[in-house]
Amino acid sequence: MNLRMIGCTHQSTGLDVRQQLAFDAAQANSALEIWQNRFVGAEFVLLSTCNRVELYAAAADKRASPSTEQLPNTEQLINAVLEFHKIPRQQVEGQLLTLANEQVVRHLYRVTASLESMVVGEPQILAQVKQAYQNAQDAGSTGPQLHELFQSALRTAKRVSSETSLHQHRVSIPSVAIADLATCVFETFDDKHVLVMGAGEMADETLRYLRDAGDARIHVVNRSPDHGQQLAEKWGGEFHSWDQLWQQLALADLAISTTAATEPIVTAAAFAGRVAPLRHQRPLFVLDLSVPRDFEPAVGDALGVYLYSIDDLDQACQRNRAARAAELPAAEKIVVQETGRFAAEVHRRATAPIITGLRAGLERPKEAELQRLFHKLPDLDEQSRQEIERFADRLVNKMLHPPLESLRDASQNGTPHGLIDALRRLFRLED
Amino acid sequence: MLSGINMLCFSASYAVALGLEVFGLWTRVRLRRVALLTMASGGVFAHTWYLGRRVAETPTAPLASHQDWYVLAAWALAVIYLAAKFYYRQSSMGLFLLPAVLGLLGASRFAATVPLATFQAPRVWGRIHGLFLMLGTVAVLLGFVAGVMYLVQSYRLKHKLRTSQHLRLPSLEWLERVNSRSLGAAALFVGGGFFTGVLSRLAHTGDQNFVPWTDPVVLTLGGMMAWLTAAEVFRLAYPTSRRGRKVAYLTVAAFVFLLLALGAVTLQDSLHQNRLDGAPATEAATANAIAGGAA
Repeated sequence: MNLRMIGCTHQSTGLDVRQQLAFDAAQANSALEIWQNRFVGAEFVLLSTCNRVELYAAAADKRASPSTEQLPNTEQLINAVLEFHKIPRQQVEGQLLTLANEQVVRHLYRVTASLESMVVGEPQILAQVKQAYQNAQDAGSTGPQLHELFQSALRTAKRVSSETSLHQHRVSIPSVAIADLATCVFETFDDKHVLVMGAGEMADETLRYLRDAGDARIHVVNRSPDHGQQLAEKWGGEFHSWDQLWQQLALADLAISTTAATEPIVTAAAFAGRVAPLRHQRPLFVLDLSVPRDFEPAVGDALGVYLYSIDDLDQACQRNRAARAAELPAAEKIVVQETGRFAAEVHRRATAPIITGLRAGLERPKEAELQRLFHKLPDLDEQSRQEIERFADRLVNKMLHPPLESLRDASQNGTPHGLIDALRRLFRLED
Repeated sequence: MLSGINMLCFSASYAVALGLEVFGLWTRVRLRRVALLTMASGGVFAHTWYLGRRVAETPTAPLASHQDWYVLAAWALAVIYLAAKFYYRQSSMGLFLLPAVLGLLGASRFAATVPLATFQAPRVWGRIHGLFLMLGTVAVLLGFVAGVMYLVQSYRLKHKLRTSQHLRLPSLEWLERVNSRSLGAAALFVGGGFFTGVLSRLAHTGDQNFVPWTDPVVLTLGGMMAWLTAAEVFRLAYPTSRRGRKVAYLTVAAFVFLLLALGAVTLQDSLHQNRLDGAPATEAATANAIAGGAA
């Protein structure tokens, strides 16, 4: 195994350094091209997201295939990244993560399966890893070593996703509100009247989830027309002045409230007097994401109203976080299994040329001796000739068995370079 | 091998499917859904085979007797369950629908197996009458199940109870739609069944007084028809009664009427039979036709 990784993550590096080391798509392409020219024969994949910048490098095992180029060492990789961004070394001293061989495999598996994410189990990282590998392929900087590594990482992530429920529990407030709760009320969002009160960040994020769920009709009411209109335009909705709040609330199926008001805007009395008579108990799902609340809790007692405050949603998120944490041991177990499998496969492959050489080294004299014997005994019938050939095959296999067995046993704990060298010299195997 | 299929076979399949649904409340193992679909599909297949064989053996089946009638209604609900299982893959609807299926199959064990209508003209009416009432029963049961699910889901949301990964119910919007349509269909079918029952009676005797209005079965059926019609008119005329919770209550009440009607049929089967045994042949057959319809 000949793998290296250097990089920074949200766990070990501050945001300021991560921002300086980050690569956009164009920079990533350019950097991969530079590094390919500088380290001929090495393979590279660059993963750059908000929470991590990681450079993966690989080369064929030099001792297994001495003709290939050598993998750049950790220092060379760090310098390559820093030189690209023109960042002095002392600025990142002690903040970079450096891994080699099996550590790289395990780390990439954990990253792809979202075990290293800031929000464990979030699904975006899988697409980001796929995209990083695709970019490297397009730039021509990948090869068989990293192909094998990234494909196995994607398989591991898929196993974690299908064999654990790590990804099933949503943990952000807007995602829980829309995907876990609003879908219990509405079958589809396509024809729903969605009222957004206020134009805060939380409203924007909730509308993003809502848009993914369906094509709802969005109506924004806000005290400041500028912000309100901006939000409405962004999501293809309609802006209404603040005095139309009650009329819009009477029409709404789903209300999202994110104002900065210091007192409740919708009191139980106001709702009963101005909204309820117009609604005829039609279901209204209210997401009150404001602190302090925009809706009085007693509004939730009205028939057909399902009122969720940020505290209610936060409790649901906490429960989901706990449920995810309970799934972590199972996910870690899969990562350990897959890392072991990958390492065993790499070690097995490293011994393949020796096995082929050993077999060929015995096959050649076997064939020569058989020819000589058949030449001396021309009267042998076909059955006898076949029997002698089978005897020779069995003899070769039995002679090969002890060294191959030793090789296989030694491969369990890594590539057995010493044994491979010894066999090469003993049997005079050429590269 | 298929000739050995009896009610116990498909009842057992549905019971195992229900057991798997209940098991799913605690944990969802990987092959549970496959096992559940296999059991439910196997049950529906055996059920269909059983009814087909009944039709082949008895030309008047599958509405030849009260027992057939129950078995056919259970089959319709089982098919709806299986279809719903494909539409809502992860839902726990079986927890509500399968007991209704098993309840109908259980009731069929106590229902009469004697043939119903035996003469031509009223038999046609009698079969239409029986078919309408069977469809009405399925609609009421479906509405009841959707209504109960609506109330459970609404309660969970209203009281912010933990949304379980294991007890998954359809959305309130979908349940309200199913509930409303079931109520409308039930009113139509039960009303149709009641009037075809009266018509079949008149077609046979021409005597309006011959309809046994005081028969408990006819009384409960008439009550259910009146309730369903009033509920549907109320629902159409009054906007707030169209809302899910109100419709759910209306269908739950309709279910109570249905239970009374089915209870009256099942309990009176032997009584009817005893009474008919002493009546002249034509009269016995006519009364049987009404009894079959009243089911």
